[in-house]
Amino acid sequence: MLARVAANFYWMGRYLERTKQTIRLVRYPLDRLVDRTGNEIAVAWEVVYRTLGQSPPEAPESSEEAETFLMTDAYTLAGSLIEEASNPESILSCWSIARENARQVRSHLPLPVWTCLNQGYLWMRDSDLPTAWASGPAAFVGEATDRLRHLAGVMDALMYRDDGWRFMVLGGFVERVQHQAAFLGAWVELGRRARGESVLPWADLLRICGAYEVYSRRYSMDVRQEQVLVFLVQDPELPRSLRFSMHLIEEMLAGIDPAGARYPLAPPHRMALRLAAALEVENLDGERGRDSVRFFRSIGSDCRKLHDLAVASYLGFSPVGGLET
Amino acid sequence: MSKSESPSGGAASFPGYELEPRFYDEMFEADGTPRAAGLQMTEALAGFAPEDLAKLQESVYRRFLHEGITFTVHGGDEMTERIIPLDFVPRLLPAREWDHIERGLKQRLAAINLFLRDIYHEGRSLRDGVVPLDLVLGGPQYRMEMRGIRVPHDVYVAVCGTDLVRTHEGFAVLEDNLRVPSGVSYMLGCRDAVKGAFPELYRSHRVREVSDYSKRLYSVLASLAPSMRTPRIAILTPGLYNSAYYEHALLAGEMGIDLVEGQDLVVHDAVLYERTTKGLERIDVLYRRLDDDFLDPVTFRPDSVLGAAGMFHAYRAGNFVLANAPGTGVADDKALYAYVPRIIRYFLDEEPILQNVETHLCREPEGLAWTLEHLEELVVKEVGGSGGYGMLVGPHASSAERAEFAERIKADPSNFISQPTLDLSRAPCYVDGGIEPRHVDLRPFVLQGRDHQDVVPGGLCRVALRRGSLVVNSSQGGGCKDLWVVDG
Repeated sequence: MLARVAANFYWMGRYLERTKQTIRLVRYPLDRLVDRTGNEIAVAWEVVYRTLGQSPPEAPESSEEAETFLMTDAYTLAGSLIEEASNPESILSCWSIARENARQVRSHLPLPVWTCLNQGYLWMRDSDLPTAWASGPAAFVGEATDRLRHLAGVMDALMYRDDGWRFMVLGGFVERVQHQAAFLGAWVELGRRARGESVLPWADLLRICGAYEVYSRRYSMDVRQEQVLVFLVQDPELPRSLRFSMHLIEEMLAGIDPAGARYPLAPPHRMALRLAAALEVENLDGERGRDSVRFFRSIGSDCRKLHDLAVASYLGFSPVGGLET
Repeated sequence: MSKSESPSGGAASFPGYELEPRFYDEMFEADGTPRAAGLQMTEALAGFAPEDLAKLQESVYRRFLHEGITFTVHGGDEMTERIIPLDFVPRLLPAREWDHIERGLKQRLAAINLFLRDIYHEGRSLRDGVVPLDLVLGGPQYRMEMRGIRVPHDVYVAVCGTDLVRTHEGFAVLEDNLRVPSGVSYMLGCRDAVKGAFPELYRSHRVREVSDYSKRLYSVLASLAPSMRTPRIAILTPGLYNSAYYEHALLAGEMGIDLVEGQDLVVHDAVLYERTTKGLERIDVLYRRLDDDFLDPVTFRPDSVLGAAGMFHAYRAGNFVLANAPGTGVADDKALYAYVPRIIRYFLDEEPILQNVETHLCREPEGLAWTLEHLEELVVKEVGGSGGYGMLVGPHASSAERAEFAERIKADPSNFISQPTLDLSRAPCYVDGGIEPRHVDLRPFVLQGRDHQDVVPGGLCRVALRRGSLVVNSSQGGGCKDLWVVDG
């Protein structure tokens, strides 16, 4: 496969995943706007800011002004994260970049995959966002989620499992690990500072990760922080767990460079194996829980290194050393 | 103008369908009765309620929109993706007429390939005065770098798109596109969309198939490969922002070959490679959709970043095949076009099957005088122009525009040719909620392999959607429609 085409698949996977993650992120505080206190909404938005690596603006001292400021800021940030074309993190931007990457590889994509992705983009681009916003932002975000799920289903059903697929899945899961590590780190840090389950309930974290029902079946309805973290980080069968994602990354890299084809293993593959082992053995229970914020930061940082290695090894192929002499 | 009293399905069934005797109508006889090939179609169209016609148009439009069948329009710093307007009413052509066209196209391409070989080697036709020497050697598209190079199997032009127009006198060639002819994706897209809109009619008309174009193209490209092993073929595209990018991607996808950009290519020891995730892979045949100028910054334009440095050196060494070969543009110059009938007679010793449009060369004194005297009746074109730009349609231009153009012609006569304003044939189109006639042309695609020629029975049928307009180019308000080659 052409290195440039592999790069397009990789970035398409990353941006589609980033779209999903941003939607998931925005949806939480939007849902909270309905029936939660100002403080709870503020903390929810702070999770969003921190996950994106930004700092929230300072609120005014007076409680009345703070409430107004909070609501205005909430709508501004939500608008910026959904429709702002100049914001590279916005859902519209991410979808658009994913589509541009898909356009570059459309000769490798089944027509229904391209059509579905294109239709979703056209729907978002042509939506009357102010009206959609006024009538219910959650409904708008909900439709975007449905369209992404539809796309995921079409891809899963129709795409050929070659290197294009592997690079796309690789990109998606590298993005997921980086994002999820930042998100969990922000949640743990803010939850600890707030010191209250009522402000950032761990059950909410499970719901955002689509894991509440499974957790209840697996453990109990009594949600405990330590168990939640172990579940979201180390469960091998939960699609949003870090361990599950690392397993997929490792599997994709093994497919790209089949085991035995070269020794030692390619640098990104070795890095993925090391990260997977670190995730499996980390003790997230009890006292060690104090270090979990640092742990999530290190996972995010290692995943960035993994990305750099993948780019250097496969996507930015240099002819040096590869030429016949 | 006349309006027929014909029964249902005749031209009179469509309010606003005015037959003009000047123009050959593709669907109706002069008295308004449907031609034999169009009988079923006109009856079906007449039976549709206005809202059904609107739905059909909407369905084909949606299909193009969702599948992203677009072309890129450049305007200032802006680039926008546009859907080419598609008219859902197919143009019908009896098979016996098509067979005549096919023979003519094959004859023309065979002669052009022989001519190209000759002008880059012995130059016999130039010495014998078949074509003026200075017209060829002084032409901007003549590539000195190609002199003496042995082109595999002497196939200079492997893919050709020839523009045809029809008048009451029959089909005539308007121009040959020998460099990077485009539009075949619209032929395929139109067919899919229109077939979906009229499944029953399509089946009953027994339309000749075009969907295997990519297979035919692959077969032609593979036949040109320099070695016996299974060749690695790729399409070279200028990239995402090229107006025909959709077509490049479609063809690569259908043929299962790589769509490469200049940045994917590297030349080493006179061998062309593509950069893959597993290392460098050698390319045997490159179907380039890029003008000569941009292929190789070492040989052609030094500022080009769209090709690969050293590519021409690898080509000259015979280590891969370029389709089409560099330097073919010299034969689709609008001035040289006038000599193609002579080229056919000289190289094939046959009379041309398809006629040219009468052409006056302003480089010749009598041609210049004629053009300037009859400017209000003529279409004047730049010899290297394309896309409907740089031309004057005399009858539609103001006297000021004609005067300004006359000055341009006098300043550089050899840059212009003139032709009579053609009475292009018209075909029914869905416009503003009803069926009306519009002017059309046709670009069939001819393929030349190592030892065979192939013409897919169809083509890009362009239509001037603006009432009265003769300009069919998509960049200037033109659209496209499907062409059905049917029994008869």
